[in-house]
Amino acid sequence: MESEILIDEIGYKAKLIEEEMTFFERMKIEKSTLKRMLIALFIYVSVMIILSITL
Amino acid sequence: MFELVPIVIILAFLFETMDSSAGMGFGTGLTPLLFVIGYEPLQVVPILLISEAITGFTAGFFHQEFGNVNFKLKKPFNKVTKIMINIALFGIFAIILSVFLTYYSLEIDKSIIKSYVAILVIIMGIIAMFKLRNKSSSYKPKLLIFFSALAGFNKGIGAGGYGPVVMLGQIFSGIYEKTATAIVSVSEALVSVAGVCSFVMMPVLLNQDIEIDFYLLPSVFTGGFIAALISPYIVRVLPNRIWKFIIPIYALSIGIYILAKLYIL
Repeated sequence: MESEILIDEIGYKAKLIEEEMTFFERMKIEKSTLKRMLIALFIYVSVMIILSITL
Repeated sequence: MFELVPIVIILAFLFETMDSSAGMGFGTGLTPLLFVIGYEPLQVVPILLISEAITGFTAGFFHQEFGNVNFKLKKPFNKVTKIMINIALFGIFAIILSVFLTYYSLEIDKSIIKSYVAILVIIMGIIAMFKLRNKSSSYKPKLLIFFSALAGFNKGIGAGGYGPVVMLGQIFSGIYEKTATAIVSVSEALVSVAGVCSFVMMPVLLNQDIEIDFYLLPSVFTGGFIAALISPYIVRVLPNRIWKFIIPIYALSIGIYILAKLYIL
């Protein structure tokens, strides 16, 4: 019950990261997040190619 | 014509970085600067709305990825998702009203309402600075509804300042700064989608011709998109106590900037 309340608290994840991780630990980026950032960049490049054709 | 304008890319990057990490400033800061450079409202306003829609969702996605927020997009929604939806609904209603008023040319004295918003933002910024030493307060949903409605009302009458009022309103309502930023990113994206739709639909409904110029889109999108990728990471890495300082100081400077633009510049 207690953990449910904690999980529903607004911003619990951000607070947890802030309290339990050091500055340098927070700087590390997970591989899965890096992959998603690369996918986002790929989408950006695709959009720019489409814009260069259509505009 | 496809062209990248370096100064526009840099400005879009800077303002979107602040918007996605401090929750405000993209529209309020960038729009008048692009007007000063010499672009027309129809080259600027719809393009900023399109860009803000895409970058808002991108920033929201990476805020979630970096743990600044914990949205739950399946029912039953959690508290933070409900807050984001509530804020977005007020904003969506407001932006439709705002576009409607613009098309019907119901001119309200812009300098008076902009001064009112600037003073409101300055007062909220000062109060937030006084509250810096206070420990995080408990969540006050009624206060949040009040500030969401107030921000929506301001946007609806065309006074702007939606981001600063919603952002500071969330902080006054007891929402953690890093999470408040993520909530604003996504709700602003939803509001911008409504803005783009009403911008396109309103002339059709009113039988008017309107030609949107997409010349600035590649530049604004480039600067804004890169910022939307980086900002959630900056929010995660920097300690929350730094955001507690940055947010009210930035809001205060936006309020002063609006006043200066009205009466000095």
